[in-house]
Amino acid sequence: MTSTTDVNRLAAHSLGLRYGDRTILEGLDLELPGGAVTAIVGPNACGKSTLLRGLVRLLDPAAGTVTLDGADIHRMPARTLAKRMGLLPQQPVTPEAVTVEALVRLGRYPHQRMLSPWSKADQAAVEEALTRTGTAELRDRQVDRLSGGQRQRVWIALALAQETDLLLLDEPTTFLDLRHQLDVLDLVADLHAEAGRTVVMVLHDLGQAARYADHLVVLKDGRLAAAGPPTEVLTAELVESVFGVPCRVVPDPETGTPLVVPRARTRAAAAAPASASATAPASAAASASVPA
Amino acid sequence: MTAPTDPTRLTAPTAPTARTRRTGAITRRRARTAAWSLLALALLVLLTGVALGTGQVSISAWDALRALFGQGEPGNVLVVQQFRAPRVVSALIAGAGLAMAGSMLQRLFRNPLAAPDTIGITGGASFGAVLMLATGASQQLIPLAAVGGGLLAAMLLGGFAWRSKMAVTRLVLVGLAVQQGLAAAVNLMIVRFPAELASSAMQWTTGSLYGRNWTEVWIGGTAIALTAAALLLCQRRVAVLDLGDDSAGGLGLNPARDRLWLLLLTITLASLAAALTGPVAFVALAVPHLVRLLAGPPTLGTLGLTALTGAVLLLSADLLVLHVIPVHGLPVGAVTATLGAPWLLVLMIRQGRLPQRSS
Repeated sequence: MTSTTDVNRLAAHSLGLRYGDRTILEGLDLELPGGAVTAIVGPNACGKSTLLRGLVRLLDPAAGTVTLDGADIHRMPARTLAKRMGLLPQQPVTPEAVTVEALVRLGRYPHQRMLSPWSKADQAAVEEALTRTGTAELRDRQVDRLSGGQRQRVWIALALAQETDLLLLDEPTTFLDLRHQLDVLDLVADLHAEAGRTVVMVLHDLGQAARYADHLVVLKDGRLAAAGPPTEVLTAELVESVFGVPCRVVPDPETGTPLVVPRARTRAAAAAPASASATAPASAAASASVPA
Repeated sequence: MTAPTDPTRLTAPTAPTARTRRTGAITRRRARTAAWSLLALALLVLLTGVALGTGQVSISAWDALRALFGQGEPGNVLVVQQFRAPRVVSALIAGAGLAMAGSMLQRLFRNPLAAPDTIGITGGASFGAVLMLATGASQQLIPLAAVGGGLLAAMLLGGFAWRSKMAVTRLVLVGLAVQQGLAAAVNLMIVRFPAELASSAMQWTTGSLYGRNWTEVWIGGTAIALTAAALLLCQRRVAVLDLGDDSAGGLGLNPARDRLWLLLLTITLASLAAALTGPVAFVALAVPHLVRLLAGPPTLGTLGLTALTGAVLLLSADLLVLHVIPVHGLPVGAVTATLGAPWLLVLMIRQGRLPQRSS
């Protein structure tokens, strides 16, 4: 774990976010440590992706502010902000037939002026991004013909070519199989450890979040449920109150980080808790009592 | 971090590879675009010479090109400069403008069927032009009226289709309805025109190049050149918008605002082109697809190639109309529409088969 720093601190102050008339987040106060990996977790529709969109200014706050090192991001010129924060959206659009290198080059957009030619610094940033993500050998391939895992690494390369201190990723592992999920998370960990990026990502899997993040933000129904280091935050009580899943939290046998193990529940108990006593005996030994 | 690292995965090396290959896909695609552009340019010069030289007085292509710049026999200079050049230059300018506008619309709407003549823009431009003609205003105002009409059509389209999130097929269905409605309005106005105006108004029903003059060419050409230059300057922005609104926002754009401005520029370009020729079909729809087949996905370079190809295509169609098809007074729009109808069908069928790409 790297120690956190005083720069690249994103913070939300009484933040409220809305889609049309629908309030997603309300009264959120949050400080994300600089120089760390933060994971935002929570049940479906708790507003975690919305929070990320608010933090990168894709969504204007209905109330409150978002600050980066104390400065309101909504008062910064868009390009200045784009040089500080890179984003990997949940579902980016791959232009038809575009090649890997051509796509990654677009990450240089905030650094270019209207008539400035492609510079050596631009090319160097693209090479670095391709190399770091292991996509250099794919540079001439068409992005829409790559596998999901490769494509995700290419999109991360685009955000890297942007050369920002902060990298925000919205569910970067969602459409990937386990092996490629780990590849992407390892890559993110490397970017943090070796390239010094501050990372904020929305994750679905609590175990992965605990393994890869220094700081957890847990949301429930548009409000902050807990925030802090995974070892402190991720308790059985919290998981049950936020996700409604009774569980045990044990040390991950590989890493020692908290691992959430849901308690076994019988089909009968899940489907019809009232009549659980009739069918329970067979599995009673395995499952502890399941509160309805 | 405490995560175990898979040894087979590439850990980030410290330096980029020293030898950077310069024959990558980007370079190859650029070379191909340049080669096709040169070919299109050569074809354009050749066809311009042929078009300027063909007619009741036959002049060789080379002499006709020289005459265009005031060289050679005074008789040839007169024929070429006064009678033939305005029409030929109009075809080139309008063809280039329409093709560029088509390419931009297809990208901005992410819809391969979008074109000024499938979403009602050229219909609107014709409507504006005919309305101006009916008031008897001066010729110089026609391009302005056309742009107004094009924007009006865009607002109609927006009103009908925007709220339904511009679904791919609906955009074109609504657009065709707008185009047909405005074309009907144009026809209605023309049948009520006095006879002497009716003939000059025919251009606005199918698109034609008869009776162009230098005033129109200069005004239209300058405005088209300025609009096209503005669009070319924005190409990086367009490429970033191609990544979807979220990515574009993350790269420092305001996607909704930028898309709207680019759309306004594109509609202006298409309307100005339509002010010269009327609602010529097919060119704007087909050329971007052709260029994509020849040179790959859209870039700054392929947009230039698109303009050149559009110019060549419209001029070729006009040559057919004037000198090959033995029907007197056939409008060029009739030829392009004849070619365009099956092309539109092919595209619709192909699109129906293609799975929608989500990421």
